[in-house]
Amino acid sequence: MRELVAAEWLKLRTTRLPYGMVGAAIGLAVAAVAGGVLATARSDTALTSTRGLDQVLSLAGTGALVTLLTGILVAAGEYRHGTATDTFLTAPRRHRVVIAKLAVGAALGLATGLMTATTGLGTAAALFQMEGDTLPLGDGEVWLILAGTLGYATLFAVLGVALGTLIRNQVLAVAVALAWIGIVEHILISLAPAVGRWLPAMAGQAVVRAPIEEMLPPLGGLAVLTTYAVVVGAFGLRAAVSRDV
Amino acid sequence: MIEFKGLTKRYGEHRAVDGLSFSAPAGQVTGFVGPNGAGKTTAFRCLLGLAQPTAGAALIDGHRYRDLPRPRRQVGVMLESTGFHPARTGRNHLRVLAWAAGIDSAQIDDLLELVGLRGAADRRVGGYSLGMRQRLGLAGALLGDPPTIVLDEPVNGLDPAGVSWVRRLLRAWASEGRTVVVSSHLLTELAQVADRVVVIRAGRLVAEAEVGSLADSVTVRVDRPDAMAAALQAAGMTYELRADGAIWVPGRDPAEIGHIAAGASVAVTELARSTAGDSLEALFFTATGGADHA
Repeated sequence: MRELVAAEWLKLRTTRLPYGMVGAAIGLAVAAVAGGVLATARSDTALTSTRGLDQVLSLAGTGALVTLLTGILVAAGEYRHGTATDTFLTAPRRHRVVIAKLAVGAALGLATGLMTATTGLGTAAALFQMEGDTLPLGDGEVWLILAGTLGYATLFAVLGVALGTLIRNQVLAVAVALAWIGIVEHILISLAPAVGRWLPAMAGQAVVRAPIEEMLPPLGGLAVLTTYAVVVGAFGLRAAVSRDV
Repeated sequence: MIEFKGLTKRYGEHRAVDGLSFSAPAGQVTGFVGPNGAGKTTAFRCLLGLAQPTAGAALIDGHRYRDLPRPRRQVGVMLESTGFHPARTGRNHLRVLAWAAGIDSAQIDDLLELVGLRGAADRRVGGYSLGMRQRLGLAGALLGDPPTIVLDEPVNGLDPAGVSWVRRLLRAWASEGRTVVVSSHLLTELAQVADRVVVIRAGRLVAEAEVGSLADSVTVRVDRPDAMAAALQAAGMTYELRADGAIWVPGRDPAEIGHIAAGASVAVTELARSTAGDSLEALFFTATGGADHA
């Protein structure tokens, strides 16, 4: 098992994918946080209030969208490039490959989360200064949000690997993920928030303490997100083991 | 040894492989031939645990591939469907395989040298030619120094020097006692390298032959076939009297047949020698009906 995890890690870092994706996640987080600071500073909400902090720093969590896509590409990319054959010839007990990929996806998600959290924090600190405020690093809310960013990015990466394992067609898997988050969840959260808040991206928003009405509590969001990752992962695992390659 | 035991693989109503049984012994090169879509690749995929057989089994030294504890060290595989990540270098491709299989990656340089990719090792596979990819695929198959080797169309895309190099490799492996199974649609190529050929069509075994027995046969036409047949029989030769009146004599050369014809006082109207490759081709076309491969 250790060998497979090491090989998956080597696979990841011998392509350009993770570098581009980490860069994209950081860029997205920095831009979102910067936009958040500028918008909040021009609203009635004080930047340093709990709501202000939530509004700004939760935006560093947007990097999770990128880790979701990375996870999909890590798993479904093997079919796109035809490397799945070699992978499963080396490890014919296929569940071990899926578990190794989930583990590597989680590690990459965590690393990406760490980088988006720190760059998001740095961006916020700099722009708070520009707006004549100081980011209250002593406020526990700041660290809870950043911890949430790590959880959101990690679980979304795992969810991505699970989804890419279940839906082997890379383009389809990416399209499904984007349509779900960009369209389905948006419709549901506005039509039926009581249902919408249980959906993955909304649960993720709860984890990073985004100030949206009727959200789950942060730990509840974490539990829901974990459940999604586990359930989709289980379906992916079953599909990978039983399907012909 | 590789054994196919009544292997059947159905996709819906279509039987891609239909009750296929044959075995490939150690120390020999077994050629696996059939027209496109005959089920060669599907049979290999079932053998290698990539597809689940509908019925029957395919075993490697008595075990299912999935049950092999160290598959890469036991079976070296190159399939047509094997792909490479275009952005990964050739060397890194092999490192990934070695790491996953727990094989020492120190031998990768030697392997790259062996397949003639030393100079291209640190280039991205995306820029490789078809022949270079084949070489990289072969290197991957050899990584675990396996006693059993399964290659699907290994000479596709190779230049003549590459083809002859693969031929020598296959012979060398067999002489070391390895089990070598190689599929190809290049019949003459197989005739030069295989000890045995197995011909399949529409998923079924249609012919099986030792290539040695196919070597240098003679086809003769005479005015009185019955008298010629009797003379051949008297000379202790194996022959086959065909429906069109031609007589096929395996393992003989034209001079011998000419003498016998003269002795029997029959007039020879046609005398042709066939090499193993020709015979294999004849076997192939007879067995597969020819038309859909022509």
